[in-house]
Amino acid sequence: MNVRHFAAAALVAALAVMAIGATGASGRSSADTLTVWLQVDAQSGWPDVVAAATAQFKSQNPGWDVDVQYQTWGTHLGKFDATLAGGNAPDVIEMGNTEMTKYMAAGAFQDLSGASFPNQSTWLEGLAASGRYLGKTYGVPYYAGSRVVTYRTDLFRQAGIKRLPTSLAQYTAAARKLAARNKAKNFSPVYIAGTDWYVAMSFVADFGGTIAVQNSKGGWVGTLDRPKALAGLAAFKKFFNAASRASKVTDEARPQPYDVYSRGGAASMIGPGWFSCCVGTHKAATGQFVMPSHTKGQPMPGFLGGSDLAVPIGADRDKATAWIRAFTDNASMTALRAKGNIPNTTSMLGSSVNERAARRSWFVPTAKHWVSVENGNILRTMLARILTNKMTIKQAAEVASDNIAFTLNQR
Amino acid sequence: MSSALEAQPLEAVTSRAPRPATVRRRRRRRAARAAWNLLGLAVFAVMVFPVFWMISTAFKPDVEITSLTPTWLTTSPTLDHFRDAMDPQQHPGFWDAVKNSLVVVGITVVLSIVLAFLAAVALAKYRFTGRKLFVVLMIGILMLPAVGLVIPLYVVLARYGLTNQEDPLPTGALAGLIVTLLAFLLPFAVWTLRGFVLGVPRELEEAAMVDGSSRLGAFLRILLPLVAPGLVATSIFVFITAWNEYIFANVILSSQSNHTLTIWLSYFTGTSRNTDWGALMAASTLTAIPVVIFFLLVQRRIAFGLTAGSVKG
Amino acid sequence: MTGTAAETGAPRSRRRRSFAVRGLLRGSVPYLLVAPVLLVIAAVLGYPLYKLVTLSFQQYGLPELIQRKGTWIGLDNYESVLRDEIFWDTLVRTIVFTAACVGLTIGVGTLLALLLVQVSPWVRVLLTGGLVLVWSMPPVVAVQVWYWMTNFENGVVNYVLTELGIGDYSQHDWYATTFSKLAMVTLLVVWAAIPFVTITVYAGLAQVPRELVEAAEIDGAGPVRVFRDVTFPILKPILLILTSLSIIWDFGVFTQPYLLIGASHLDATNYLMGVYVYIEGYGHSDFGRGAAISMLMLLMVVALSVVYVRRMVRMEDVR
Repeated sequence: MNVRHFAAAALVAALAVMAIGATGASGRSSADTLTVWLQVDAQSGWPDVVAAATAQFKSQNPGWDVDVQYQTWGTHLGKFDATLAGGNAPDVIEMGNTEMTKYMAAGAFQDLSGASFPNQSTWLEGLAASGRYLGKTYGVPYYAGSRVVTYRTDLFRQAGIKRLPTSLAQYTAAARKLAARNKAKNFSPVYIAGTDWYVAMSFVADFGGTIAVQNSKGGWVGTLDRPKALAGLAAFKKFFNAASRASKVTDEARPQPYDVYSRGGAASMIGPGWFSCCVGTHKAATGQFVMPSHTKGQPMPGFLGGSDLAVPIGADRDKATAWIRAFTDNASMTALRAKGNIPNTTSMLGSSVNERAARRSWFVPTAKHWVSVENGNILRTMLARILTNKMTIKQAAEVASDNIAFTLNQR
Repeated sequence: MSSALEAQPLEAVTSRAPRPATVRRRRRRRAARAAWNLLGLAVFAVMVFPVFWMISTAFKPDVEITSLTPTWLTTSPTLDHFRDAMDPQQHPGFWDAVKNSLVVVGITVVLSIVLAFLAAVALAKYRFTGRKLFVVLMIGILMLPAVGLVIPLYVVLARYGLTNQEDPLPTGALAGLIVTLLAFLLPFAVWTLRGFVLGVPRELEEAAMVDGSSRLGAFLRILLPLVAPGLVATSIFVFITAWNEYIFANVILSSQSNHTLTIWLSYFTGTSRNTDWGALMAASTLTAIPVVIFFLLVQRRIAFGLTAGSVKG
Repeated sequence: MTGTAAETGAPRSRRRRSFAVRGLLRGSVPYLLVAPVLLVIAAVLGYPLYKLVTLSFQQYGLPELIQRKGTWIGLDNYESVLRDEIFWDTLVRTIVFTAACVGLTIGVGTLLALLLVQVSPWVRVLLTGGLVLVWSMPPVVAVQVWYWMTNFENGVVNYVLTELGIGDYSQHDWYATTFSKLAMVTLLVVWAAIPFVTITVYAGLAQVPRELVEAAEIDGAGPVRVFRDVTFPILKPILLILTSLSIIWDFGVFTQPYLLIGASHLDATNYLMGVYVYIEGYGHSDFGRGAAISMLMLLMVVALSVVYVRRMVRMEDVR
């Protein structure tokens, strides 16, 4: 009967499905398409900049096409790993600055030291450092964002705060005034999540402390238990207790500070500049200022979050760098700046709050296992212990330092 | 049946007017039925509540979504979130994603049911060497930890040219996803359909043989209508699982024109900025619609079919 | 064609030849039928499986991935995992978690299926439709909604419990302790798994011959005894399938615990195996170790479900 034919047909169908796709070159994308992986922030934020760079590249390299594929944070590294294993990694990839070191150390990128890029001599050091490994350049700074204070102009006025604080002491005093005027339960004059280590480490950096340093043999030593860092942590605890009613063990995503703010639960919050997007009904009464240092007149060093552009191995280096050059030239940087970002060069730094905050910044240790420290929540655990008084500051810092050193020194 | 025969004489004896005992029994049964219905509705309310919350949030204005007092049903519903979700500026690729999901899932369902059915028939109706091994293989695959297989699988597909990073026909990546889904879903489908096929009585099959047709051919002709409901039930499971597939789809499909709805959905929470929760809920509601439609189309078959063909003890 | 050669009275020699040829063709039929499935599975999963096993014996991190070459280290990965106290803690925790999930899923699922039998048709359609809606909700979205419902600031659950007067649950943090975190994950996983169980068991229930039930009732058996003596034996095969599938899925569950507990609250005190293999293996880009843990997980799942699987594989001989 026709069943055997049917079975044979099914076999053919299964083969056909695979054949459909296999009709083409195996191995990497063909010689005239440049594959670029950018994060989806570019697609929603500045698609025109991408389009302009692509057009410029195409006009300079006739016959070449550019395929920009937008990725999401959180999944793009897993996908990158898969393409590295499969031998078809993209030609240009956007990497978070904290993600760079691990991949540079593993040999995932091509050495760009010989190539030249726009504004290379005035690159923002915070970003440029994340693209360097053992003296060679692997990453081109793309853009950055710093941390600022977003605040309620109306509440500040109501509480009689005439001038924006320019020192930590002034800010603490302002917080007390705000607390006196807004007695609602759980109202935070300054909303800071208990385990928000970005804010806490800013305090540490403000007092000259560091998270970890490399000794002469290349090994890592945790330095949170040194006096300067301890001073910073103490200042953080003091400020938190005076100004924030957030849970001492919660992180800075649950709840989102801007959600608390838009509900009227906070008079100010510390976070990236784009926080002002999501303040609900308080849009008109919201402003920003630079987080003050404990030294009057200085900004507190802010965590410089940002992205670099790298060229994975196996890519056409010349074409890839050509595209990167088109994407990071002055025109692009001007456009990025207009969208509220910090450009990659100090020569274009203006005086917006975001940019002024970036003049003093700190960065995480450029160790290939730093990501493991973050994933292991070592800093968060330390902060929770400090704020809930489960351990003294010194004890918690010692434990954390040991853990950090252990993690960073893994093979 | 014997009990029905016994009931006859009794009913013949009783008069037309129902006796008080019967009335009481009927009333008790109705009361019992009403009580069960009430319980059923209560269970429905509890089980479906999260889905209700998702849909209701999709219509709430932003301020109600983040407020400290939860709103059950908003008094000022808005379609903004649906508009934002499908807005090609903010969340590009919606309709492409719909098309891709339908294509991938449609082909996967059809192919998996056909291939699995054939294999199930072989397992249930034939004795051949390697049969037991094959059955164990099927359930063995179900036990595999998927996360460990992602990268090696990608390497395999890349070698065949079935991922997005290859130039030619963009259908390559979709084909790669389809075969991957098939590889993981076929074992389940074979397993389930085997149970349904096992339930078909031997007598029917033997009756077909006397007819003078080939064993397999007639068997299939008789079998299909009886197993159709089982096929439908399995196809729903395959549909839903393929529809919600994320890990492999995410790695295999890179270019936005190839994305399925599940990947498109993940972009709502993938930026470094805030997540538009209202739009995400609206988007999720939209992605649930095809599944519901599919279910409504086939559910009548289920009601009948789930009643036949399950494994007998 | 089959079996009728004798009836057609064909000459003996031709009959014998036809039988022989037919036997050969018939013999090849089952292989032809399973070939497509085998082909797809072998082509897609063959190499990955081989790679997974071999990776577990290699030192294979990010540098090795990039160079596409690992170093053979024998059983070192396995040793390091088996010596890790966290592995054993996680294993025990996951076994308990799986037992709870499977027990609740099968128990509640079966009860709901029994309920489906008792209600009016319109309620049945409503409930089944609702279950399908639940079944089709993407896990990521389900987690988010679950979190909204249970978070201490503005979760509906707290609001309802307080309004109903059960106690003062405003601001109650359902994620405060490890037990409550895992309880929330359990509830979410069970909730999402019930529809499949209920609908499948309902199908099986409809198979139970009414005559047997009525006969038992006439004999004076209450509903519990009817279930135990009549319904349950018939349901057994289905329950076996569902139980083994549930064990397999719940043991390795990843998305729900990972997203619900959240990356910043996940640590060794609340790892489940699915999360553990991800974080300890792939999160550190230690693919060799991840492969070893995956192999060990496979072993555990086999061990946990072998009883049920054995029974099911043997079942086909009952035919």
